[in-house]
Amino acid sequence: MNEAIADPIPIVARSRAEGFAELYERTFPRVYAYVASLLRDRSAAEDVTAQAFERAYRKRRSYRPGRGSMEAWLFGIARNAALDELRRRKRRAGLERDPEDVDALGPEDHAELALRRATLHAALASLDGLERDLIALKFAGGLSNAEIAGVLGMTESNAGTRLHRTITKLRKACHE
Amino acid sequence: MSEHDPNSATIERELAAIDEALVAGSASEHDPIARELQELALALRADSPEPSREFGEELHLRVRVGFPDRAGSLRDRAGSVRGSLRAALPALPSARRLLPAMGATAVLLLPIVVIVFAAGGPPSGSGGGAVRAPRAELVPNPREAASDGAAGREQGADDSIAGRALPVPPGGGFEPGRRERRIERSISLELEAPVDGMARVADGVTAVTNRHGGFVLSSSISTGEDGSGGDFELRIPAERLRAALRDLSELATVRSQSQSGRDVTRDFVTAQDRLQAARAERRSLLRRLEDADTDAEAEALRARLDLVAGEINGLRGQLRDLRLRTDYAVVMVSLVAAEGGADEDGGASGSLDDAIGDAGELLVGFAGVLVRVLALALPIGLIALVAWLASRPLRRRRRESALA
Repeated sequence: MNEAIADPIPIVARSRAEGFAELYERTFPRVYAYVASLLRDRSAAEDVTAQAFERAYRKRRSYRPGRGSMEAWLFGIARNAALDELRRRKRRAGLERDPEDVDALGPEDHAELALRRATLHAALASLDGLERDLIALKFAGGLSNAEIAGVLGMTESNAGTRLHRTITKLRKACHE
Repeated sequence: MSEHDPNSATIERELAAIDEALVAGSASEHDPIARELQELALALRADSPEPSREFGEELHLRVRVGFPDRAGSLRDRAGSVRGSLRAALPALPSARRLLPAMGATAVLLLPIVVIVFAAGGPPSGSGGGAVRAPRAELVPNPREAASDGAAGREQGADDSIAGRALPVPPGGGFEPGRRERRIERSISLELEAPVDGMARVADGVTAVTNRHGGFVLSSSISTGEDGSGGDFELRIPAERLRAALRDLSELATVRSQSQSGRDVTRDFVTAQDRLQAARAERRSLLRRLEDADTDAEAEALRARLDLVAGEINGLRGQLRDLRLRTDYAVVMVSLVAAEGGADEDGGASGSLDDAIGDAGELLVGFAGVLVRVLALALPIGLIALVAWLASRPLRRRRRESALA
């Protein structure tokens, strides 16, 4: 049986769904990487990533192209979801602590790589929350400086300056 | 001073170098610091966590099917209701898009609601011409009638009661149960009718008069740009006055009314007694004339008979006049044009100028109320807007406090 006849879908709805599917395909790994970088918890990162995409899907009609790229809009949603999760975790921090398993090394990691990663993670730990957020948006999320500025609500030059300052600080921390 | 204190040009160059490395996937800068930043950027990207395949497949499936709600969940039920509504009303835009329209509607409706509540009810054509006045109670209850009758007896004559109808007992007198009482009544009615309904009301006055056995003594009707109106002098049988006045008041709006009554019972009884006496005298004179012995005596009796006959005729005329004045009430009806051209149903049927004038007055009224409402709503709205704007960074800061 012809699938189109068996399950007719309005053209507009179909194109919207396809548009969102394309956005998902394009951004899913990066959104997950960004959320996981913020949360440092794979399980929580999966939940929050799914939650972010679902929120974005339900709010997709509220996206306004004039306010920035669709990716920046999606990362804004993911960021809010991740921050909400962080706040929840802070509230229950006294009762339980989520395992930070995102740093776990695979069996294929050899010693040099493990050392470099440990150094990098130690340097990252020296950053404050907003600096880690900036680094995560840039390198895990793969956003441009303009998109980072849109997500964080600042000017592009300010975002660039802060990013430069943060990565410079990170470089210094790696040498220490 | 730190070992690396870049200026803006250096910052731009190093940021560009980072972006180049991320695009190329390798560090290409010769400057050691820039190259180190490139390598750090590549390391950071390589260190990004990757989602598991299972999670990716699961989420991909959910995206493909459009994040279906769990069966029976609140969102699922709300979604099915929303879907049904959308199917029933496919042309309606989303609630978010409707918000401005809804806000504008609320702003427009608010003054109307305020007007309605301030007026204690829906607008009833104020400013749109004459409002039909409540129908005058032309026939008071029997107790009032008796009271008025007593007052009339005490005052004697010319008892003018503006705004109230004279009581009309079935016997035709002021005092119930005294049929011999003779009351001369005079009623004045001012009826307000629209210009285009003047002829119809005039015809109605004549028809009511005829229907109740009365007659139109005189009438005049005038129409034209200078003014429209009419005057009727009617005679209505006293025993039908109540019903006739009721019918007349139903023809148009009663703008005013006045009534007066004069008790002429004494005059009537006196005239009757004098007539009776005159007739007795005439009978006596006739008998004496038959018995008269001399011509002189007969001539004197004839002269006296002539005088008595004249007196009898005069008294008969007087009684006839009194009967006419008391058997028929004088009803003066004045027709005046209604201001604003409202017809008897209260609808606007005047000229275009009147309609525009009325609309202008209505708009001015609405504008006045709107200004008052805005005077209240604007500060509140501004405060709410400022509070909302102020709360945005607060909410953002509270959310970002999780990063600290």
